Amino acid sequence: MAGASMKDIKLRIKSVESTMQITKAMELVASSKLRKAKERVEKSRPYFEVLHAALSDIVYSNAEFSSPYIAQRSVKKTCYVVIAGDRGLAGGYNANILKAVAAETQGKEICVLPIGKKALEHFQRSKTQILTERYAMAGDITVSDCFSIAKLLAKGFLAGEYDEIRLAYTNFVSMLSQQPSIIKLLPLQVNRPEPGSAPRGLTLYEPDSETVYNAIVPEYLAGLVYGALCESVASELGARRTAMDAASKNAGEMIDSLSLHYNRARQAAITQEITEIVAGAEA
Amino acid sequence: MSTFQLQIVTPDGLAFEGQAQRVLCRTIAGDVCILPRHCDYITALGMGEARVTLQDGTVRKAACIGGMLTVRAGVVRLVATTFEWAEDIDKARADASKQKAESILKQTNVDPHELDLAQARLKRALVRSHVANNM
Repeated sequence: MAGASMKDIKLRIKSVESTMQITKAMELVASSKLRKAKERVEKSRPYFEVLHAALSDIVYSNAEFSSPYIAQRSVKKTCYVVIAGDRGLAGGYNANILKAVAAETQGKEICVLPIGKKALEHFQRSKTQILTERYAMAGDITVSDCFSIAKLLAKGFLAGEYDEIRLAYTNFVSMLSQQPSIIKLLPLQVNRPEPGSAPRGLTLYEPDSETVYNAIVPEYLAGLVYGALCESVASELGARRTAMDAASKNAGEMIDSLSLHYNRARQAAITQEITEIVAGAEA
Repeated sequence: MSTFQLQIVTPDGLAFEGQAQRVLCRTIAGDVCILPRHCDYITALGMGEARVTLQDGTVRKAACIGGMLTVRAGVVRLVATTFEWAEDIDKARADASKQKAESILKQTNVDPHELDLAQARLKRALVRSHVANNM
């Protein structure tokens, strides 16, 4: 910075100050949105817990139960649902999840259902087969969108377009740590009762357990997608908050060092002026 | 009159929790009515009107779409994708949604996915406006 004129330094300070204002504002926005996103997860949780309990109960209570959703097939093609953000400036959030997916899918035949603009752009660039581009905005997706996603996925799975569905999302561990993770959606993993264990209480299923099961599965999938989406949105906001916090701190440090340079330059200019005046008076 | 514990849960939160005399709703196999002391029971819900008779005998109606109904140890859980009490239904929105779906269904050469969506939307709108009109 040495040698820069006072005016240049002043301009730099001003521009860094305005950047800092933006990063601070983004941090505040992310914090308040994060609170709402967490509330949303908690509100919807009981609904999906009951669904999950019912599904595992059905499988557990009848041994000869079968459903196309739990049938294991040899995996030729996998469908990945990838949830990323719509915008950048969130630290490593988008890069981490896309890297995790790339590491797992290497050399496999896949198709993807991207959620979030960054995911869509990434897979368009890598020319991966994309199921639908309708869900490009992760921020706008509602519960009913999740239901249509689940229906679409279940339909493709039953039609044999792919033999496995996996969901890639970012797990919200804490404010400071977000972990990309990939879980299997279909076929569903089931716990069979041990042969000879005590029978469960009788439950009446109407019209029958398989029909009920197959009707509930898409809703359960929707629940998983929605839950993952909420987690991902919370993670994105958390990552953005941390990134913006760091950016604000860096900007503050930069302003401090720039002010120091500015004051030094100002002092040098004054000293020089005095020397010139004194020299002029002596002459 | 004896009652049972009823919980109505949706993805948007808890819609109702308390004692009820009976609950009637449409399942994928037709209407069912649950009374107190029902045996353990699970069924999947269809689309239709739900009627809840509260402890004091008042009947509340609602539009109830998708999900399931469980009875376990005397506690009835209605786990619905959408559950809107008749007085909360936005009638104008339901009518607008109905008209939009109808206009799509009238067109020829729409792609099949759009058609499915429009049909589902029409069904939901019909349930909602039916419930709202017969309060």
